[in-house]
Amino acid sequence: MPPTVLHTERLSKSFGDIKAVDALSLQVHEGEILGFLGPNGAGKTTAISMMCGLLKPDAGQVFIHGKPVIGMRTLVGVCPQENILWEKLTALEQLEFIGSLYGMRPKTARRRDAVLLEELGLSNKADQLAGKLFGGMKRRLNLALALVHDPEILFLDEPESGLDPQSRVLVREYIRSLSKRKTIILSLTGRRLRE
Amino acid sequence: MRLWQVFIKSIREQKRDLWVVGLSLAFAPLFVFIYWLMTGGTGTTAYHVLVINQDVPVAVDALKVTAGEDIVTRLQNLKYQNGSPLLKVHLEMDRFRAEQKLRNRNAAALIIIPADFSAKLMAFNDGEVAANAELTFVGDLTNPLYTVADVMVMTVTDTYIQDVTAAPRPVSLVEIPLGGSAARSEFENYVPGLLVLAIILMVFQAAMTPARDIESGVLRRLRLTPLTSFDYLGGISLWLGLVSIIAVVLTFVAAIALGFRSQGVLLPAVVITIITSLSIIGIGLLVACFSKSVSQAFVIANFPLGFLMFLTGAAFPMPRFHLFTVFGHEFALADLLPPTHAVIALNKIFTLGAGWKDIIFETAALILLSLLYFGIGVRLYQKTQMGIVKHLS
Ligand SMILES: Nc1ncnc2c1ncn2[C@@H]1O[C@H](COP(=O)(O)OP(=O)(O)OP(=O)(O)O)[C@@H](O)[C@H]1O
Ligand SMILES: [Mg+2]
Repeated sequence: MPPTVLHTERLSKSFGDIKAVDALSLQVHEGEILGFLGPNGAGKTTAISMMCGLLKPDAGQVFIHGKPVIGMRTLVGVCPQENILWEKLTALEQLEFIGSLYGMRPKTARRRDAVLLEELGLSNKADQLAGKLFGGMKRRLNLALALVHDPEILFLDEPESGLDPQSRVLVREYIRSLSKRKTIILSLTGRRLRE
Repeated sequence: MRLWQVFIKSIREQKRDLWVVGLSLAFAPLFVFIYWLMTGGTGTTAYHVLVINQDVPVAVDALKVTAGEDIVTRLQNLKYQNGSPLLKVHLEMDRFRAEQKLRNRNAAALIIIPADFSAKLMAFNDGEVAANAELTFVGDLTNPLYTVADVMVMTVTDTYIQDVTAAPRPVSLVEIPLGGSAARSEFENYVPGLLVLAIILMVFQAAMTPARDIESGVLRRLRLTPLTSFDYLGGISLWLGLVSIIAVVLTFVAAIALGFRSQGVLLPAVVITIITSLSIIGIGLLVACFSKSVSQAFVIANFPLGFLMFLTGAAFPMPRFHLFTVFGHEFALADLLPPTHAVIALNKIFTLGAGWKDIIFETAALILLSLLYFGIGVRLYQKTQMGIVKHLS
């Protein structure tokens, strides 16, 4: 059995009266894909936010390689449910910016960004402002931003929502190819269970 | 280095939103222009005075005495140091119409010179000690312009009467101007405050820039990277500091173009500017902490703006609400606001020609308070928006 990459112990979070996540314990091993399935409001986003170290749980803990998540956050990449982009930066500029924050050398970053844009079909949009991109393209850039620093663990919060059928195929194939190299935790809304 | 990346990114983003930055930069120079217009377009206020001259000149031997006309001429000749007139004299015939003008505040004061004015003055000169002419002043006592115009006219007439009657006086009045204030126009006295106002107006940028990152959610992305809050807030502050300096420079240039002359050296003024902007950035961060969106930040920022503008004396001189005295310095409520000290310091520099040693107290108070405000802003922003949080905004 491959080693455990991430595990949680009785993670809980409430917002007022709403119990969003209740005593969630799980283990994810290297190279696995873990899917959260559930209807709207089931607590998928809340669970992911706690696991990647963005949101403080009311109770419980998250470990990556056996250490508390807070010190291990550089190992994770997150593709949030809504597009979180710098509208006034071009696709390439924001990839470079994120790369620089992870301390990547400009040369390495540039090579990496070119590959990402190519793989996600955004090469010809590299110099376009993110705010001017169409919905599906924004979605793909949103995913690219999670991958700049080549994270070991990838959180994808409903990566296929808001995609046209054509892009959906592209993204799904892409995630499949990623899964050979990475541990992936993704969420999908209930009605896509069949797929 | 990451701090620098955040700074460069901010410049890139703002470059594409130039009109927003441009508008906020144009704001303070616009204020300078408005103050210049307010002070009569010459930098000095001319007070409008109505005169009903009923005086009948009298002839004494070959000499014609026209005391009424003389006074009108003297009023017209009253000038500021820069040569522009202190009073705008309008001759009126009808008292009812003149009072109407006072009521509408088209003029500040009405002076009525009686028909026997010249005659009575001559009679006095001929030894008739009981001779008395009645000069009438009419005005709205609640209009501050009246008080000023009144004093001017009274001084002019008094001096004139003294001149023509050559009556000896037991008291003479001497005026000693502070620093370079004698040569200053009213407009010039407003400029130091307006320079501080230019920094205060940056509170909008300082609140909206971090609020934009909260609203768009990019802060969530940034929190996952190794970017520290020091680098993030430092990068933003660097950008805001740069904009503040540009705003002050533009305001200064606008003031110079409209006739402002600096009395002091520039370096202390620049340092004061930079420190003050630190406190405004702190206040901006505080506002951002309580905002979920840019538009909310804009609305909330109006409150500190109001306090800063009006209580600190930046927009115009304010009475001080005295609290207590320490080391001979009187402390007022407004002293808790950093720009108050900046206004006083810049006033000393620009109007009184002060140097470093004259503004030690103001500089020290400004540094302490600015660091405090900046520190509080940074700390609260870190606590509520950075790191691992209780609520995702
Ligand atoms: N910041 C918050 N404040 C208050 N309630 C919240 C907050 N975030 C989430 N909730 C509530 O917690 C519950 C779980 O929300 P969450 O976003 O995790 O669900 P989800 O499974 O991701 O749903 P969706 O499919 O709509 O994305 C919902 O009832 C939601 O209203
Ligand atoms: Mg969700």
